[in-house]
Amino acid sequence: MTRITLGGAVLRGTVSTALMASLMSAPALGAAPVDLSKWSPEYVRSIAGTQDFDTAADCAKVTPLDYKGRLTFWYQGVFEGDPDLLRQYYKDFFETFRKTYPNIQLEEQALTYNDLLDKFRTALLGNAAPMAVRLQILGGTEFASKGYLEPLKPEDVGYSTEDFWPGAMKAVTWDGVTYGIPTNNETMAFIWNADIFKRAGLDPDKAPATWDDVVKYSKQIHDKLGIAGYGLVARKNAGNTPYRFMPQLWAYGGGVFDEATANPTYKQIELASPQSKAALQASYDMYVRDKSVPVSALTNQQADNQPLFLAGQLGMMISHPSDYNVMLDLQKKATGTDKDKAQTVIDNMRYGLIPTGPDGKRAVVFGGSNIHILKPEYVEGGKVDEPAAKAIICMWTSPEWSLKMAYAGSNPGNLNGFKTKWMKERLDSIKFLDVTTSMLPYGIPFPALPQSPEIMNIIVPDMLQNALTGAMTVDQAADDAAKKVKDLMGGGL
Amino acid sequence: MTIVTGKTGARGRLRPLLRKIWEHRADYAYVLPAIAVMLIVIAYPIYYTIELSFFNTPPGLQLRDKIFVGFGNYTSILTSPVFWKVTSNTLIWTLASTFIAFVLGFASALALHRDFIGRGVLRAILIIPWVISAVAASYIWKWIYHSDFGIIGAVLVGLGLADRPPNFIDSVSTVLPSLIVVNIWREFPFAMIMMMAGLQTVPDQLLRAAKVDGANAWQRFWHVTFPHLRNVSTVTILLLAVANFNSFIIPWIMTGGGPSNASHIWITHIYELAFGRQRWGVASAYSVLLFLILMTLGYFYVRALSGNERKDGSA
Repeated sequence: MTRITLGGAVLRGTVSTALMASLMSAPALGAAPVDLSKWSPEYVRSIAGTQDFDTAADCAKVTPLDYKGRLTFWYQGVFEGDPDLLRQYYKDFFETFRKTYPNIQLEEQALTYNDLLDKFRTALLGNAAPMAVRLQILGGTEFASKGYLEPLKPEDVGYSTEDFWPGAMKAVTWDGVTYGIPTNNETMAFIWNADIFKRAGLDPDKAPATWDDVVKYSKQIHDKLGIAGYGLVARKNAGNTPYRFMPQLWAYGGGVFDEATANPTYKQIELASPQSKAALQASYDMYVRDKSVPVSALTNQQADNQPLFLAGQLGMMISHPSDYNVMLDLQKKATGTDKDKAQTVIDNMRYGLIPTGPDGKRAVVFGGSNIHILKPEYVEGGKVDEPAAKAIICMWTSPEWSLKMAYAGSNPGNLNGFKTKWMKERLDSIKFLDVTTSMLPYGIPFPALPQSPEIMNIIVPDMLQNALTGAMTVDQAADDAAKKVKDLMGGGL
Repeated sequence: MTIVTGKTGARGRLRPLLRKIWEHRADYAYVLPAIAVMLIVIAYPIYYTIELSFFNTPPGLQLRDKIFVGFGNYTSILTSPVFWKVTSNTLIWTLASTFIAFVLGFASALALHRDFIGRGVLRAILIIPWVISAVAASYIWKWIYHSDFGIIGAVLVGLGLADRPPNFIDSVSTVLPSLIVVNIWREFPFAMIMMMAGLQTVPDQLLRAAKVDGANAWQRFWHVTFPHLRNVSTVTILLLAVANFNSFIIPWIMTGGGPSNASHIWITHIYELAFGRQRWGVASAYSVLLFLILMTLGYFYVRALSGNERKDGSA
């Protein structure tokens, strides 16, 4: 038996009380972190609705609620392809922020995914950037590496780094320093129309298992029904393209670099590898050989595929769980017989895991957005109201709002969002959410490099376009893209 | 000595000039604010663009960390296959758009110059493409051309004239002509208005005299009307050419320069280099080259205008 003296007991008691007190006040342990090793739809269901959070009280510890200040803020907002439900949550967020911080004069500006980077870069050149910005996941390292961003980690706004996906934290880290906080993280899923599958002689309740199956199914749907099989997207300068092509590239064992491995080094360029070429060949086969995908794929975005799908003119596509709600919104706006047709499509919507490559590899883009604070010298007026910026960041990345702002289309950046009552409500109301949360462990982040936006938004779509238009053969297009990446990484003109 | 004489000569020329400026100092004071604004918003950007064209600006560096490469950007542009592709697209785009828009505009102006019932209504309808927002027009045409469910395709398939909708903007061979059609549709009303204004200046008595002398309609047009429209035609063509060289909205919104660079023209390519790829140096070098071309066109434009003034003055 261990004998404890009175002095020792007092000392131990004091230490443990102090430790307990510090643990309770420590933001990291305000809630036990979500156990990512147990991740499954069942685990997500088991933790949903198990904890309450008081966002205003939590953020008051970061920036007092009566703080008086001014904040300029740009963010990647909702766009035409998003459901109305999400629009409402964005509206609610800014209303709530203004009520919570009535003395902060907020000047926010929403920009679409495809416009935000261009506008932000231009503003930075003129030292006219906003004080805080919410960027797509691709942008974090670009602007951090150039020195535009202030170091910012979850602990700075009352949370813990462990409360966020490790992959998401990688995307906001440059040279060992954290420059932002993830607001939401997402992985997409595979959607198909069971009725089209049935009419084309395919199993209506089974998603294609492999990408080779996607090619076959697409052709079968097109040949039997005369409609597009798979919703290919290959537009340049559009985020939708890499989000749909990279899962295919990785599944075949290819990549831009070694980003699909556990510890990527980004040293070796893999775009011209036989595996990458096989992935490109699959797209070529669907677009050129079989003509089984929309011809407009080269100028289309996902928002153009949605009405095609709803009209029963497209068999399958990669998308968010939000597409179910988008379809419901579109169906409400339809009239006459179109309304019934749309309802038939909605009733026949099925979600499944994204297909694997020939070796059973399954992959999806680990996407999302991050929020950052700018250095004062790049901001209009040369001043950053840091407490005001931290107030909005605390609120947006809170379990409550990171969940609500990702309600239909994504997942909360703050993992504690999965424990909220709104997550429970969401699991019941957003159909097929399980499938996309199941895809999260397969998520691969884009390379955490400043050159990533150019690679993903220009070089990869260019490669697709060169092959699909016949401007180059598949081999030439892949070799050309690999050379462009090599030149880019070498600082070429 | 020659040098001294030269200096004296220069000083000799300078003195009356300075005297003239002094005599008109009030006039110069009036235009000074405008000159100052122009220096800030025009001269400085031109200077900065030229300076930037001699630097490499890799995407991983801030602009202030740019690297001097001399004429490296110009060399890389001129040796790049994309440059020749984009230049060829720009020339086709500019020449075809300018020529066809002018011919159509001229023909419309001649048709509308005659008096007939509904002329005013028709004139108003024909001006619509010019007054409509280019952004809105681009989106509308994008849907009209849509390769899967565009109106043109649907009509052709519906009438049994095609098995599947024609591929207008998703094919490297048809995309540029398709965009040129949209550009002509938007621009010909401008040429029409200019030529209608020009037609007002053709003396009616000359046309009547030619008619009395037995000239037929073609002869009256060729020998009387057209010579009177030569100057306005030159100005119209030059303005159209400059506008077309500088076109951005239609190709950018409809195709973003794709597919496979098939509809990239200089301006869209410069935009993508600068804002999409952050190659500010190369984009600036492109801009300097474009500036030189446009300045040449501008020179001819000013010459055409001053030629008009001289003629008007001597008349």
